Amino acid sequence: MNKSIAVIGGGASGITSALELANSGFRVYLIEREAAIGGQAASFCCKATDICTKCSVCLIPEKLNEVAVHPKISVLTDSTVAGLSGKAGDFEVEVLRKPQYIALERCVACGMCAGVCPTEPKASRSPSPDAVPYCYVIDETRCLRLRGEKCNLCQGTCPTNAIDFDREPERKELSVSAIIVATGFEVFNAREIGSLGYGRYPNILTGLDLERIFKDQGSLKLPSNGKEARRIAFIQCVGSRNEGHGYCSQVCCKYAMRFARLIKYQNPDTQVTIFYIDLQTAGKGFAEFYDECRGVIRFIRGVPVEILETSGELEVRFENISEGKVERETFDLVTLSVGITPRKDSWSLARVLGINLGDHGFFDTKEPFNSIETNVEGIFLAGTCQGPKDIPDSIAHGVAAAEGAMGVLEKCK
Amino acid sequence: MGIFLCDCGGSLKNIDFPKISGDLEKLEDVAFIDISHSLCLEEGEKAITSRILSENINRVVIAACSAELREHKFVRLLEELRFNPSLLSLANIREQCSWTCEGDVTEKATELIRMAIGKARLLQPVERKNVPVNREVLVLGGGFAGMKSALELSRLGIRTTIVERKSTLGGKLKEVEGFYGLETSLKQMLDSMITAIEKDNNIEVLTSAEVTRVRGEVGDFDITIGGGRREFSLSFGAIIFATGYRTEILPQDFELKPGGNIISQLDLVEMLRAPEKLKRRPETIGFVLDVCDENSRLPTLSSLNNVLAVREKLGSEVYVFCKNLKVDSEGAEELYREARNRGVVFLKFDEPPQIYREDGRVTIKAKDVLLGEEVVLLCDLLVAEERALPPEGTKGLSSMLNIGTDSQGFYQDENVHLYPAASARKGVLFVGGCRGNLDLGRALTDIASAVMGSYSLLALGEAVVEVEKVRVDPEKCRACLTCIRACPHGAIQLLRVNTEKEVAQISDLACDGCGVCAAVCPAKAINFEGYSDEQILAEVETIGG
Amino acid sequence: MSMGTDNKIIAFCCEKSAYLAADRAGRMRLYYPDNVRIIRVPCAGRVDALHMLRAFEKGAAGVLVMGCQEGACQHLTGNLRAKERVRYTASLLEEVGMDGARVKMVNLGPDMAQKFVRVVKDMAEKIKER
Repeated sequence: MNKSIAVIGGGASGITSALELANSGFRVYLIEREAAIGGQAASFCCKATDICTKCSVCLIPEKLNEVAVHPKISVLTDSTVAGLSGKAGDFEVEVLRKPQYIALERCVACGMCAGVCPTEPKASRSPSPDAVPYCYVIDETRCLRLRGEKCNLCQGTCPTNAIDFDREPERKELSVSAIIVATGFEVFNAREIGSLGYGRYPNILTGLDLERIFKDQGSLKLPSNGKEARRIAFIQCVGSRNEGHGYCSQVCCKYAMRFARLIKYQNPDTQVTIFYIDLQTAGKGFAEFYDECRGVIRFIRGVPVEILETSGELEVRFENISEGKVERETFDLVTLSVGITPRKDSWSLARVLGINLGDHGFFDTKEPFNSIETNVEGIFLAGTCQGPKDIPDSIAHGVAAAEGAMGVLEKCK
Repeated sequence: MGIFLCDCGGSLKNIDFPKISGDLEKLEDVAFIDISHSLCLEEGEKAITSRILSENINRVVIAACSAELREHKFVRLLEELRFNPSLLSLANIREQCSWTCEGDVTEKATELIRMAIGKARLLQPVERKNVPVNREVLVLGGGFAGMKSALELSRLGIRTTIVERKSTLGGKLKEVEGFYGLETSLKQMLDSMITAIEKDNNIEVLTSAEVTRVRGEVGDFDITIGGGRREFSLSFGAIIFATGYRTEILPQDFELKPGGNIISQLDLVEMLRAPEKLKRRPETIGFVLDVCDENSRLPTLSSLNNVLAVREKLGSEVYVFCKNLKVDSEGAEELYREARNRGVVFLKFDEPPQIYREDGRVTIKAKDVLLGEEVVLLCDLLVAEERALPPEGTKGLSSMLNIGTDSQGFYQDENVHLYPAASARKGVLFVGGCRGNLDLGRALTDIASAVMGSYSLLALGEAVVEVEKVRVDPEKCRACLTCIRACPHGAIQLLRVNTEKEVAQISDLACDGCGVCAAVCPAKAINFEGYSDEQILAEVETIGG
Repeated sequence: MSMGTDNKIIAFCCEKSAYLAADRAGRMRLYYPDNVRIIRVPCAGRVDALHMLRAFEKGAAGVLVMGCQEGACQHLTGNLRAKERVRYTASLLEEVGMDGARVKMVNLGPDMAQKFVRVVKDMAEKIKER
């Protein structure tokens, strides 16, 4: 029995599990589908006004760097799990890795490859500023060489000889004692509710869009014309607590209030309204923040049924529950607070690993009140792939999964 | 001193490296200046290695990309070469210079390197050492969270002592019958946990006992425990607080006093244990939530469990008055839907309801926002909301240990870096109700975090420390206590050195390297190696030319 | 463009927030004035009035002390101590006839590259108005 553990997924909970185990002396293989670790949270923004609002996004960069440099953690990016055999204490995990045309161990992110790349947009893509590992990546769909044409410019320019187009996909067999599944979530696709107009009108955004906008630009402007928004609405429970998603996503009320408060802080003249069903305000330190919000944000208990664009403005038709009637109000920007949904590819990983999906489509646990064990001994769950959680809860869950995995190792001794 | 400049594969074209090399060569204490294309790769490592092994240098300056990316790598290399990594000084000439500058980038880079050189001259070696730590953990509180923490630590080979104020273990498990959805009754869970603990050689239990004094630091807490007439001291490596929470129906939130047909959730649970003993079955039961504390999950979660139990065991009509149902816990929405399916009626208010006794029943009057009308309910029994409060003794213990509490009075400062279970003091952790987590799912992950937290600190029986990286000079120390009060990590203690003198002493293991002590010391008696006043000023003064 | 000492800005940057934000600004290739010199500190709470004043003594035209958001300091109150010391230093500057606004406390998260650039640019503008 070896002392290695495989963690599938390098988001908030995956990197936490990896660090807990590595710091306890075990070897960890962190298998990440994308070219960089960090998951969803790495793309989120700090939501502080003049004080911290506890969004916990700042916990991620430090952890990512710790993982990247930890001697006991092998990060396998561009990798997926293709097969599994064996049992607890003695698993063989088959990992498929996309060809690393730019070798991570050699790339210093100097950017010279992108400098000579002839395509537009560039096939040699610069990493996002938050990417860990911070390395350039060749986009197969744009690269001339990979599409069969003659081009060797980047390979010739790279000062560290990091580029090699002859690299093939790799198949690796990892021998591990336990596995932690930390594959994360997808946000609800707001296009599924056509009446809310997402994708049709430019000034309708989701919570995820706001994360990206604040992270990249630092403030919110109307997508349609770049001006300041004067009247903003947030709509809660989009894709949660409804038919098909009979659960509360736990994060949306909080992120909506944090964004609303941040927007008011940056633009005190903007009117912000939050449409809600049941406001989720529990949690350490949130009560005071909620009190502050009440002073500056309009809260309307209501469920918008339709959003239409009329003369450049967004008309929201909603049922005002407190007043008991259907009303209309216009806004210039609407944010749909989309919820956490299971990844659509969970079923395929479930099949490979032999674990079950639960009623809502998240990975299932063996029994209630045991949120880390699956039906397969030695395979554990961490983070939002098991159910909606915010960042601190995902991190805590990652620790719990690590503890569970250690139990396997202890048992096998 | 040896200086290594990296031009990042030759890509930092706006920096004239030969010019910088020429400028710096003039410095007396510079042994060599190497320009490399990739200090972070094998070739760079070879270059550094060969220089360090062949040259007689005692300081290293590296000008390259961000410390964030590469510092660890250089540190590790130097350690392998037996060169003390505290003698390394870094300059960021890429992310903080070449990539963001438009003017004379070379001049800026030169100055940044000079700053690093100025600091390097003053760096002193810091040794690393293994210090022994006590592998035992003190668990304060013998309720569910405390017992579970002890059992999980035992599984990982760590010994614990549970100190419980009452005469028996169990905490709230003794009071509550069950959670809806859990097959085992809580009584069975309690019994099996107690049996497991009794059998477990790794767990010691002290009941009717309390902590009266805490001294020392992580790895070596000296704890005085009192119980009855005994008092004795034990040593522990870490402390886990599992002291639970109290519930109260606060009189000021209700004009009426609880009693008779206004009961608490716990009273209801007690009633449901033996429904056949009731003199008269209540026909209509009303629940009121979100009046004492509209931001707590506890009333929602207890109510959702209890309404289902009521429907099952008593069959009474149930009405729940609430402002916002807190369903942001696993399984909560499902319980809510099931409750509605079983005929429980949920009414939502914006304004708190009026509640008064009338003709032997209780009247609840509220404007239901769903109907848009005022609703008047006469019920036989009103289950009033309970407010969760920090456990007794929290104020005392938190000041005894110098650990923070949150705005509600529960343990643990509201600082995301501490979540889930840590305190600013290394080795002190919190789980469950006492830190405000009142739902079982989150309490369980708290426990795992505290268990793993203590395990990784203590499992090896020793910890690596940087010896006297932050050090109080006993000659200069006036024992004014400023640093002790300022240290956010409780890492400084007063030590008696002889019959006349007491000085502050910093625990290497508990220190988190913030330097606040060095900044507040009025006598400038604290030296923070790597960020001492002289070293920071050396960087500052470089701009003067 | 040769720079004299009289328009340098010293930015004491906490390694958990501002230093990372500055790195991020670099990765995003956001340009900001060349006259900024970043000094890395473990916590804004390490920075003393002594350090800030010495910067001015040596010819700096502006000083920024940059730490984590209030409430998010890993050392709980390090950034609050820094804020107080900056206030104190500003009052000392005023006493000797200098503009107290030349020393400023800034709070940001590790991803706030734009804020980093904005405050640096603002300070650079401010020190031009002599």
